[in-house]
Amino acid sequence: MSEAAPRTLIDDLLEEQRSLTAVERFAQKHERHEFPAQEKYYRDLIPLNRPEAGEQYAFAVNLDTCTGCKACVSACHSMNGLDDDEVWRGVGLLLGGGKREPWQQTVTSACHHCEDPACANGCPVLAYEKDEETGIVRHLDDQCIGCQYCVLKCPYDVPKYSEKRGIVRKCDMCHGRLAAGEAPACVQACPNGAIRIEVVKKGGTSDTRMLPGTFESSYTRPTTSYRTSRAIPSDARAADSRELRLEHAHWPLIAMLVFTQAAAGTYAAGLANPSLAFAATILLNLGLAVSVLHLGRPLGAWRFFLGLRKSWMSREILAFSVFAGAGAAFAGAAFMGWEIARMIGIGTTLFGAAAVGCSAMIYVDTRRPWWSAQMTFGKFFGSSAVLGLHAFAIASKSDLALTGAVALHWALAAWETQAHLRALEDTEHPAYRSTLTAKKLLSGVNEVRTVALLLSAAFAGLTSISHTRWPAVIAALFAIVAVVSERYVFFTAASAPKMPGGVTR
Amino acid sequence: MTIPQLRKFDGPLTSELVRRPGDFGLGQVPSALAPDATTTMVCGFCSTGCGLKIHLRDGVAVNLSPETNYPVNLGMACPKGWEALTPLDATDRGTTPLIDGKPARWDEAMATFVTKLRDIQQRHGADSVAVLSTGQIVTEEMCFLGALAKLGLGIRHLDSNTRQCMATSHVAYKQSFGFDAPPFTYADFEQSDVLVFVGANPCIAHPIMWQRVLRNRRNPDILVVDPRKTETAMAATQHFAIAPKSDLTLLYGLANVLISSGWIDREFIARSVSGFAEFAEFVRQFTTDKVCAATGLRADEFWQFAELVGDKTKRVSWWWTMGVNQSHESTRTAQAIIALALITGQIGKPGTGANSITGQCNAMGSRLFAHASGLPCGRDFLKAEDRSQVAGIYSIPVERVPDTNSLAYDGIVEGVKAGRIKALWVIATNSVHSWGTSEDLRRALEGLELLVVQDMYPTTETAQLAHIYLPAAGWGEKEGTFINSERRIGLVKKVRRAPGEALSDFNIFRLLARYCGVDGYFAEWSSPEAVFRIMQRLSRGTPCDISGIDGYEGIDREGGVQWPYSLDGADSLGRCSERRLFADGKFFTSDGRARILFDEPRVVREPTDTAFPLVLLTGRGSSSQWHTGSRTDKSAILSKLHPSECYVEIHPDDSSALGISASEEVEVTSRLGSLRASAVVTSTVRPGSIFIPMHYAELNRLTAPEYDPYSRQPSYKFCAVAVRRVG
Repeated sequence: MSEAAPRTLIDDLLEEQRSLTAVERFAQKHERHEFPAQEKYYRDLIPLNRPEAGEQYAFAVNLDTCTGCKACVSACHSMNGLDDDEVWRGVGLLLGGGKREPWQQTVTSACHHCEDPACANGCPVLAYEKDEETGIVRHLDDQCIGCQYCVLKCPYDVPKYSEKRGIVRKCDMCHGRLAAGEAPACVQACPNGAIRIEVVKKGGTSDTRMLPGTFESSYTRPTTSYRTSRAIPSDARAADSRELRLEHAHWPLIAMLVFTQAAAGTYAAGLANPSLAFAATILLNLGLAVSVLHLGRPLGAWRFFLGLRKSWMSREILAFSVFAGAGAAFAGAAFMGWEIARMIGIGTTLFGAAAVGCSAMIYVDTRRPWWSAQMTFGKFFGSSAVLGLHAFAIASKSDLALTGAVALHWALAAWETQAHLRALEDTEHPAYRSTLTAKKLLSGVNEVRTVALLLSAAFAGLTSISHTRWPAVIAALFAIVAVVSERYVFFTAASAPKMPGGVTR
Repeated sequence: MTIPQLRKFDGPLTSELVRRPGDFGLGQVPSALAPDATTTMVCGFCSTGCGLKIHLRDGVAVNLSPETNYPVNLGMACPKGWEALTPLDATDRGTTPLIDGKPARWDEAMATFVTKLRDIQQRHGADSVAVLSTGQIVTEEMCFLGALAKLGLGIRHLDSNTRQCMATSHVAYKQSFGFDAPPFTYADFEQSDVLVFVGANPCIAHPIMWQRVLRNRRNPDILVVDPRKTETAMAATQHFAIAPKSDLTLLYGLANVLISSGWIDREFIARSVSGFAEFAEFVRQFTTDKVCAATGLRADEFWQFAELVGDKTKRVSWWWTMGVNQSHESTRTAQAIIALALITGQIGKPGTGANSITGQCNAMGSRLFAHASGLPCGRDFLKAEDRSQVAGIYSIPVERVPDTNSLAYDGIVEGVKAGRIKALWVIATNSVHSWGTSEDLRRALEGLELLVVQDMYPTTETAQLAHIYLPAAGWGEKEGTFINSERRIGLVKKVRRAPGEALSDFNIFRLLARYCGVDGYFAEWSSPEAVFRIMQRLSRGTPCDISGIDGYEGIDREGGVQWPYSLDGADSLGRCSERRLFADGKFFTSDGRARILFDEPRVVREPTDTAFPLVLLTGRGSSSQWHTGSRTDKSAILSKLHPSECYVEIHPDDSSALGISASEEVEVTSRLGSLRASAVVTSTVRPGSIFIPMHYAELNRLTAPEYDPYSRQPSYKFCAVAVRRVG
């Protein structure tokens, strides 16, 4: 065994570097304080009394003293032990004043603990609780199934999805701190005391919007109030208002919508050609199976019925459950050649329509302009009809159906294009931003769609000179490509309303 | 069988976010991060010098919150402070020395460093080696580095990145007051009636100082002089959006109005000021017409400004930072502000002063103890008496003390470019990003025979060029002191273990002393606190006398100590926690009078022309970014709080003339280089000027090499550029 090397200065210094000295030398002597030390600073920033009946807690922001330091965001992160990159508060920037009266205003915002929270109303499993006494909108992390519908529903972009947990999380106004007489983290941390908690009367606000560019308050009735002694110029807009960005594509949802809508159309076609009921059943179950991939924690999804009173997501799940049952019965009866198959088929078609309608309502109910009722119902039922006709054309070798499918598809596309052109003419059009996003950022996808539509029509034309089904099948496949492209744009261009953002990129 | 709950109000996911009473006066804390002890230390980003309460578990920092009772920040912090621990956990921390990018043992790295250093010194002489240091390490390390490099290793040239932020204030104060002595205390923010901010945006750059402004209960007038309508300008009562580089003319014009209107303090001038008569004569040429033509202000605005700062019933305080310091005539501009405070007698009293807000956490420590532009505590390399005093205090032979001045930063860079400097040792600064003409500098560094970079991260633009990289422990992994803007000495403590074999800068210097065989001279320099005692001896009898401080425990107990704090109480400031200088009207000059110094305003060396018609202004972009981002970019939270890519603010007049619309990509070109950025169209910048934050590395490809003649500080606030649409 070799002798140990003699200790060097390097060894000594490395060892010294590893020893921590702060505790032995400097640890603070504490009595167990009754009150948190910071209380003297936030005493006046939280209400003395708890809300009474008809009241709730609310954030109130003094814009005159919000000067953009963003300490509130960091403090919320540190004092709540959030993930490394997780924030529950944000600070944006409004710019305005034209050319000669320069004006800017930073804006801090978190959850607005709305009186009529869209997140809660959309949640299929009641994973949100609007606290009876405080009005705080709490998210029940263990109840959440990670469907992210609240992310789509909230017009302020508040709930944030955590990939690693498969749930969303959000601001809870530090409810435990408030219950103990402490201020929420952001309130404690603002160097300028710009954020306070107030008790407000429910139904009290009459503002149409909290701030320029924010969503109409009538939708969720947010409780945060923004106050300023300075006039907000009429041209004030968020610093990121012209910044276009793509929203999440939600591929499992694209697949689910395309498959289930194809199934609904195919079942309907099954009324004329019952052999299609079996194919439709496969399509439907594929669609439903793939939709599960969208959930962060699918095991809790059985609780979907809890939200039936308000959530279109719950209703959609119910509608598809019934639809799937009826469809299976239809396919079974058709296979057996039972007389009753036609009756079940009519029922299935109606349930299918209801289910597709529920799908559409999920998006319509978010009130995103891109997902208007007209466009959403038009697209969803349109693709059901187009794909149903394609299915019938293949199964029944019907040139008429194929011509109808192609014509309808082109008509739908034309109708959409015309709506887009109208929206692009007017920068104030509600769908302007989304339409511009689709035009500028998704031109490639739009080209794919156009080419698919052309090829679909071309192969449909080939059926007259071909005796096989292949041209019809290929025409149908290109129709599917076109629908998938359309649906990709449907999701990614659906500009999410949100609070003013800062300069981005 | 258990019946599953319909609604789960609890469970593992819910418990992740549970908060519980944290004790120690903390209120509720995240359960997972509940501490078993706390200690307070000073933040390591900016010069505000906030106290942070470190939450410790088993002696290791697990979280932090601002210290409630620290006299600087009063329970608050900016986002950088809140995130101060995060950069320590970065995955790209240096854990071993690297030689040509390959991991090496300390022994090998040090031996290589010393061998090459000695070889270059022998072959090329003493002038062939230079050190670029920093305002980011503790004062004890700066002091040790200066003594070791200059007295121990015979390295003649040492300067630091404080040249880029505070050299101007240092020189201006030294010439005017006889010592580099910012006179104020933060309480002055709260006690002033008229606060004038010149080239300062504290809402973003020093949010906690702005907090102190908002605590002012005297309903103050807040005046902001800045070409841009910044966050601070928005929050001010008046904003003077002057043309870039018209500040000196404005200040001289104000002096002219004050003097000719009699809004001055003749008694104070007679007793405490020299150079007044010449100044009064000089400023007569700065008529209202001249000022308005240069600045773009209206005459009534300008006169209102003068009336406010000339009101003898009010306490007027003047505050400046980089808008003044980073200019081609910055020293005289700072001295014009000093002159305005002097002639109105607005100094030495609560709520007054000509007050420079510092940049880096320890620029002030560097100014007093780095051995860069002078020997410690205002002493001069050129004075034999000063040299022998220092040699005596160190017990080092006086012949080892250089009797020449060091090159300034720009001189060192020029030396590197010209090949006169062959070896460069860079400590805790990222010159390739932060220095103007950065592309030139990068090429020059690539040509060095030896580049040693000592940093927390081997990944900075500068460290990537190093032949030898030395892994340094960071703030929170070592002990020492910082000096903040208001001269408050605060303590840094060791609350984290450095990763791998990283060593504190202090210990790296000890190691180097040993490997160079000069450790005999530094036997007493065994720990930061031992060096602090040497610093106390150095300060004895100087204006920054800190001999009365009772060691680190004393600093800790007092919540930081403002200098001077002498052993015998000779500084007469008492022992209160908010102390300001010059209450007696006596300055540190030989005759006890403050000097008014002035020069004719000059145009910039490279003005705008038809090819480069716009003025590029640079500055801090957000409160979540610190300089070159070496540390702040490591925090996911801080990164969320600012744009990740370079952007340029441009006035709607200019953007429409150039056919640029909001969020479009543009190319900005100067005489030196170009960059791409997205356009933010806003009238907060003046027509004819654009603004780009300094945190984006590409920016300094553009900035022009022009320096203030007295302070050698670079001008980053004026660069002629052209902007065009891309595609």
